[in-house]
Amino acid sequence: MAGKTIVVTSGKGGVGKTTTVANLGTTLAKKKYNVVLLDTDIGLRNLDVVMGLENRIVYNIVDVIEGKCRKEQAMIRDRKLSNLCMIPAAQTREKNSITEEQMKELCSSLAAEFDYVIIDCPAGIEQGFKNAIAGADTALVVTTPEVSAIRDADRVIGLLEAALVRQISLIINRLNAKMVKKGDMMSTNDIIALLSVPLLGVVPESEEVVVSTNRGVPLVHDRSSKAGAAFRGMAARLNGESIPLDGDSRGFFGRMKRLIWD
Amino acid sequence: MAFMDDRLGQSRDFFQNTEMVLDLRNRPMRSDEISALYTRLYQKSMVRVVEVRLSDHLSFSMAGEPKKSRAAVEADGESNDCVPVIVRNTCRSGVRVVSSSDCVVLGDVNPGAEIIAEGDVIIFGNLRGVAHAGARGDQSARIWALSFEPNQIRIADLVAVPPRGAKPARGRFEIAEIRDGVIQVVSL
Repeated sequence: MAGKTIVVTSGKGGVGKTTTVANLGTTLAKKKYNVVLLDTDIGLRNLDVVMGLENRIVYNIVDVIEGKCRKEQAMIRDRKLSNLCMIPAAQTREKNSITEEQMKELCSSLAAEFDYVIIDCPAGIEQGFKNAIAGADTALVVTTPEVSAIRDADRVIGLLEAALVRQISLIINRLNAKMVKKGDMMSTNDIIALLSVPLLGVVPESEEVVVSTNRGVPLVHDRSSKAGAAFRGMAARLNGESIPLDGDSRGFFGRMKRLIWD
Repeated sequence: MAFMDDRLGQSRDFFQNTEMVLDLRNRPMRSDEISALYTRLYQKSMVRVVEVRLSDHLSFSMAGEPKKSRAAVEADGESNDCVPVIVRNTCRSGVRVVSSSDCVVLGDVNPGAEIIAEGDVIIFGNLRGVAHAGARGDQSARIWALSFEPNQIRIADLVAVPPRGAKPARGRFEIAEIRDGVIQVVSL
């Protein structure tokens, strides 16, 4: 059976697409699925940095598409998990050096071998975005609780619907529960009411994310991290398991309370 | 064809760089005829055929990106028939719906979307984007929505923005119309 191809996109830059790709990919690989991460942000690659694999790059996605190497040669295996690998983007080329048709072909050939193909989409809605979504059957739209990010997410969802992507879900990143309580930040419900797509998960704002990105080790390797727990919940939901959404954003006391109530 | 070339030559300035709707409701044409006409018009005087009407409820767009998402718009009839454009899903940012009569949206209109109708605009959902009723100058046109929190509303040649800081009342039908020369929003 062919695997799932998932594109992680947002429209606006800096909302956490690459972090999401790295963490979801790592979580799924930890569950013993074969996962390949595909960086399509040609010219501005950084998935390799987040994964801590920058110094192992020999070939990249453009080399694979142009036939300069086999796709197995461009795949870089993760340092910890042998069933996780990534294909980096080219840094010295441009977004239009590949076409949508070529991406479709690459995605379907990867989906035949792997359980999950996760595509890191560039910011914007130009050629790079069109390439990234061409081969995907599922889309995860990442947004932060800011008006500008939500506006862009709305536009991107419209474009995904027009491109006939079957399944679209939402990830809300960097939610600050304290600010929501004070009424200074849009709440999860406000965002869902506006965007009207199903929610996959909410990632709380956390300093750990910055640390893990700089160290090049995905957050989910750290068992105690709350943001990591959010990513684990999302991966499980992506996998078809039903896990309540509330568990992600509540603190220690919330969890205790639930234990007592249940 | 020869007659058309002649006419185009005579009134070159009139046709220069315009857009055209090819109406084939009374005279069906083969697809190669349509494409020949299209290239001829474009080469001769930069006329772009933007839309071809085949029958009353069937039309397709020749140029530009599809303005409406798939199957969104049911019919684009003539205004004297009063066939409204019906959009059956949420209008997201970047969507622009233009209607030559009324326009009915069965869903929300999100910020960044534009609904432009020559008649009324009726929205069964929240209006958060831009709505323009009476686009051809009809001052009696109205905008109906379940909730008003728009970027801007326009009726005929008037423009209104919501008062700053006003919280919209949810869940009731509201209407924007022109009263005494200004746009006012009243609840039903």
